[in-house]
Amino acid sequence: MSLVKKAFETPEKAGEREIWEPRIIAFLCNWCSYAGADLAGISRIQYPPNIRVVRVPCSGRINPYFLIKSLQRGWDGVLVSGCHPGDCHYVSGNLVARRKFAVLKDIMEYIGVEEGRLNFSWVSAAEGERFSRVVKKVVEKVKALGPAKRLVKR
Amino acid sequence: MRNIENIEDSIREVARKLLNEKKVELVIGYEKGTLPLRTAPCFIDNPDDVDKLAWNASCDANLSKYLIGVDKRIGIIAKGCDARSIIVCITEKQIDREKVVIIGIPCAGVVDRKKIEAEVDGEEILEARVTGEKIMVKGKNFEKTLPKKNFLCDSCLTCRHRNPPICDIMVGNKVPEITSAEGFAEVSYLEAKSADDRWAYFTKELGNCIRCYACRNVCPLCYCKECFVDKTLPLWFGKTNDLSDTMIYHIVRVLHVAGRCVDCGACSRVCPMEIDLRALTKKTEKIVKERFNYEAGISLKEVPPLGTFKLEDAQEFVIE
Amino acid sequence: MKAKIMDKNELQDFVDELTKDYKVFAPVKMNRIFRLKEISKGKEACLGYQNTRQPPKEIFFPQTEILFTYKMDKEGVELEDIPLPNEKRVLFGIRPCDARALVFLDRFFSSGDYKDISYLEKREKTTIIGLACNSPLSTCFCTSLGGSPFGKEGMDLLLEDINEKYLIEILSEQGAKLVEHIPWLKDAENADFERAKKISEEAESTIKLKIAVEGLRKKFDSMFDAPLWDQIYQKCIGCGVCTYLCPTCWCFDILDEGTPTCGRRVRIWDTCQFPLFTLEASGLNPRPSGKERMRQRVMHKFNYFPKDFGELVCVGCGRCVQACPVNLDIREIIKAIMNT
Repeated sequence: MSLVKKAFETPEKAGEREIWEPRIIAFLCNWCSYAGADLAGISRIQYPPNIRVVRVPCSGRINPYFLIKSLQRGWDGVLVSGCHPGDCHYVSGNLVARRKFAVLKDIMEYIGVEEGRLNFSWVSAAEGERFSRVVKKVVEKVKALGPAKRLVKR
Repeated sequence: MRNIENIEDSIREVARKLLNEKKVELVIGYEKGTLPLRTAPCFIDNPDDVDKLAWNASCDANLSKYLIGVDKRIGIIAKGCDARSIIVCITEKQIDREKVVIIGIPCAGVVDRKKIEAEVDGEEILEARVTGEKIMVKGKNFEKTLPKKNFLCDSCLTCRHRNPPICDIMVGNKVPEITSAEGFAEVSYLEAKSADDRWAYFTKELGNCIRCYACRNVCPLCYCKECFVDKTLPLWFGKTNDLSDTMIYHIVRVLHVAGRCVDCGACSRVCPMEIDLRALTKKTEKIVKERFNYEAGISLKEVPPLGTFKLEDAQEFVIE
Repeated sequence: MKAKIMDKNELQDFVDELTKDYKVFAPVKMNRIFRLKEISKGKEACLGYQNTRQPPKEIFFPQTEILFTYKMDKEGVELEDIPLPNEKRVLFGIRPCDARALVFLDRFFSSGDYKDISYLEKREKTTIIGLACNSPLSTCFCTSLGGSPFGKEGMDLLLEDINEKYLIEILSEQGAKLVEHIPWLKDAENADFERAKKISEEAESTIKLKIAVEGLRKKFDSMFDAPLWDQIYQKCIGCGVCTYLCPTCWCFDILDEGTPTCGRRVRIWDTCQFPLFTLEASGLNPRPSGKERMRQRVMHKFNYFPKDFGELVCVGCGRCVQACPVNLDIREIIKAIMNT
């Protein structure tokens, strides 16, 4: 049967032909990662449109509650990105954050949240190309994991 | 073998002296409980009442909780783990070092009454006595003698600081430390399982939680005047026993005590639904030991690991 | 009094029969404690237990209950009720103290103008089969408070263990209807009743704590500012264990969860032991410390409620005594008050 006919015969199943796209929330620090993402945009570098960006002044501002709440709200993946260690606009914000994120990631994975839901990166303002690569990597990872089910509140 | 009666007498002497000399206004210790194998926290402000103080193998509570927020000179009985929590609270400026007199007691482990109850198949224990290395339990239809070493609390089995690292007065002789205690065997066992298995385990265990907050209230490190659970603006996480909210409550609580927890075991002991909370708290201890080479509550000069940083901290989890 | 009898080894078959027509909740062993859970086969039920960690109130008045869901769009607000359970249920093997507590809960949830439908619906559709206590625990004190190890209040049927058999006393229409479905049950004989009476008397005699309830209420009236409370409350850590495990504690909180456009209203257990319970919007808290809150708990159970409704609202199950993390023993408090 032709594809067109099939679509008309079984209209309620038409939605299944859509491929699920992960929804990823990205917390980007204003001075480095957000600027890097902006540079990617200006340079017209293509990267997957699955991320929604939340701009924060520094990765150190990020409360682990944000990441946990995002997973609870049903975001399939989380990306947190800040300045490279040593280059933080506020000197040490990202260094404080690094320890917090390490502990958070270890605990979440220990509890059983799939590895790949929480992602962390350092992207500087000049690294537009790198930002797009990071996003591609994260989207691939999360796509392979499927829609978020653990910790999601119905 | 250490003479328990001597320690009990010495504690009472010390308390009497401290109160008589007005060095403290209050002594916090243990008194005999109203049920077998139980003790209760005891608050003595009169030197004539010191005979209420008791010391035995059921002195399991972590009394350092009662120091927080109290502006008095207090003498407190502290085992190794309790003294470590006191150190953590002092470094976090919740307890004034000058206002507390730590009466340290080297401890070779306290008895887990729930293990003993399981051993007698849930029959009611009407009488119990611990003498030396033996525990005698008597019920309506049974009388048994059990070896104490098989019924110690799990947190005692992996304890590497049986002697209080800090104290003003030491009662009793030091006990040998078990340096070979590999504390993370249970955690490693869980880590070796798949993420799916771990998820199934934690959802099953934490699904029993009734959100009574006994674990949070008994922990000396949970001293926030407004706990994140009670915050409504913004409402971070719900108060129902919806599985997602309950798991997040435990995840966040354990994140908050990461790097500060001394594994006194109080949280697991008091849980009315018998959830093994140490499976989570012990993991944070392991993380902090492996990543930052840190053990909480050993020295007054230490800085909590999540309150500091090093430029060369490991970042293997960061995407390249 | 009508009653049936069955052999101990017929118990599993009895419960299996129940599962055919009813949704059955029975004590089940989970790790080291017993809890009431839905079972599908007779062998899952476990009657060789002292008492469940959680009282039966969790079956009718769960820790979390969704009241309704809401959706809001430009056309307005849409509310949707949560459908109430429709099936007939059996609550199997609860103790007389817990069944008596259900009578208090019934009164509370149906008092005044507003009847709590979600509680009452479940309650009406449930047949309660109790299990008498042959060996009360040392922490039990039901007899001083109007109950008894072989008490019959709040139940439709009472199972009494008379060694090789169970005597099944029929206490209500609902109970009678249930046993009609199980034709192989034999009628009880006088000897069985005699045996049960003897065991009941033995059980009652083992409960040692006797509270002179009349004298108690009078003493409480003058106790509000007594120094006793300063001593008692110090070790209390302010958790919710005593109230959450209490079969007669019924306080709850109602919260909204969700976003402005879609969410739900839930009811959750609340406890007078949390500081937030009486925290007012101005920031004032009339019960600022554990002292006031502990006093409130004891007074409510043994003074205020009896004054308003004529009965003490503690059933003497002893759960708070066993589960309190700091061994705060309500029996000691009562004794101390009686001695003043």
